[in-house]
Amino acid sequence: MAKVLMKGNEAIGEAAIRAGCLNYFAYPITPQSEVAEYLVRRMPEVGGVFLQGESEVAVGYMLFGAAGAGARVFTTSSSPGISLMSESISYIAAAQCPVVFVNIMRGGPGLGGILPSQGDYLQATKGIGHGDCRLLVMAPASVQEAVEMVMKAFPLAEKYRNPVMILGDGLIGQMMEPVEFPDHLKSEPSNKDAWATNGMDHRKSNTRNLVKSLFLDPVVLNDNNLALKAKYDRMRVEEVMSEPYNTDGDYKGLIVSYGTMSRVCRTAIDMLKADGIEVGMVRPQTLFPFPVKAVEDAALKPSCTHVLSIEMSMGQMVEDVACCVKGRLPVSWYGKCGGDIPTPEEVIGVVKERIA
Amino acid sequence: MKLELSGIVIIVGAYGSGKTEVAINLAVHMNAKGTTVRLADLDLVNPYFRTREARHALSRLGIDVVLPPAKYMQADLPILTPEVAGMLRNPSGLTLLDVGGDDVGATVLAALADPLKGKAVQVLQVINPNRPYTDTVSGCLRIREEIEAKAKMVITGIVGNANLMEETTEQDILAGYEFSKHVADAGNVPLVFITTPTELLTRLDKKDIHCPVLALKRQLVPPWKRAETLGPSE
Repeated sequence: MAKVLMKGNEAIGEAAIRAGCLNYFAYPITPQSEVAEYLVRRMPEVGGVFLQGESEVAVGYMLFGAAGAGARVFTTSSSPGISLMSESISYIAAAQCPVVFVNIMRGGPGLGGILPSQGDYLQATKGIGHGDCRLLVMAPASVQEAVEMVMKAFPLAEKYRNPVMILGDGLIGQMMEPVEFPDHLKSEPSNKDAWATNGMDHRKSNTRNLVKSLFLDPVVLNDNNLALKAKYDRMRVEEVMSEPYNTDGDYKGLIVSYGTMSRVCRTAIDMLKADGIEVGMVRPQTLFPFPVKAVEDAALKPSCTHVLSIEMSMGQMVEDVACCVKGRLPVSWYGKCGGDIPTPEEVIGVVKERIA
Repeated sequence: MKLELSGIVIIVGAYGSGKTEVAINLAVHMNAKGTTVRLADLDLVNPYFRTREARHALSRLGIDVVLPPAKYMQADLPILTPEVAGMLRNPSGLTLLDVGGDDVGATVLAALADPLKGKAVQVLQVINPNRPYTDTVSGCLRIREEIEAKAKMVITGIVGNANLMEETTEQDILAGYEFSKHVADAGNVPLVFITTPTELLTRLDKKDIHCPVLALKRQLVPPWKRAETLGPSE
């Protein structure tokens, strides 16, 4: 297929369709409303459904219901909207249903602002809902990567029967880049007979399926949590993704950065190189599971003296980076939030002050 | 062929068709020719990648940019500053309106019917065949009808803005020119001009292009890229 010029938000909508998802429930919020604008037109063309809920709380339970019935389903929202959905995300994780969530982050806390931010890192990776639940979280750094991650998210959600989140920021949603789409995937979850409550006559299996998140018996509840933990541990082994940049040779400092911020850092690293200063970068593509080994190995290169976590937040991912480095090197944070994205020049200034 | 535009020129088009890059570069082009240019950012729909991001570069060249008050600059609120009606009542050499995308973005024009009354106005539809829903002639005509219905104005010309941003090739420009001509013919309006990235201008075989070509210097770039320097290059 020829390349087309698309906004991240439009491309995310198209990618979901290409992944065989024909059910989209959402409530509009800047800076991701274009997903809904795109799909309100596109879904009917492919026989799909876009249904706007009366609020994000309602949308969360519409997703739960559809997923419980075996439908491939997704939503998109932005920071405050995701907070409203967080109760249902916990229920969906507890009941082991596959749903894809896209969070195009805006500035926070509270209503915050409408410009790009990465302030929901901790929420997405550690505190998405009550109880011991986790999301598999992927963070794209380009429109093309957003397409690939959305398409990957559906099979992963079904593999683990767990919610998967694409964590982008306002710029990933709003910027335009040329993209191409791979072929359609098959539209039915392959393993849904094992869990979908879609009627016995629709399934090959004779066991009754039950979608629930209430486990009053403490032993049964503990068993359910152990089953969830086993899935999250498996994700840590099988799903970790990261991309190194300028790490082949020796470097004095290592940057860890993701999404939009990592692209600014890339430009800064290129400019520093021209200045004779070598800095490497690890870009986490999955935020949970975090690329622990990649960050640890890159940080422990003998030439490396300092690790910088650069984020469009007030220092959230830096906690994970510090866990990887385990006190063996200084780890520090630099970032801004509110929508004013640090420039390559600002990043260079910080590198020169702390590393070079 | 020389590109000369004056009077009130309103730039409309599908969402993401490149209206703002066209408006900014058209303003710079005419300003360099000695025309007094005023440019109003009427994108009330989308809070990202608007003309206001290039306001400083434009002001330095002496181009007057009409914007909402500074405290509302980052808001996603539909603010139409009264200054816009004023500039339409007393138009300068080139009075440019950069309107928001689709019919939703063009709705604001209906609110300007009063100051526009009796004025000769050119309404130019920007098209990029590499965008979803404007990749066919019928798609472009459909969005034209939708914009005209909401704006309560008639589109008077087409601007061909075929591009894939930095991946644009000469072939994209030439194919885009042919496509834009078809759209203009089908809609019975002239193809007013086409655009090309500045770096392709010299390599472009212009013998088959029978309309003016505006060289674009990209202004609305993500923070890891630099906007191209605006200013006279001819």
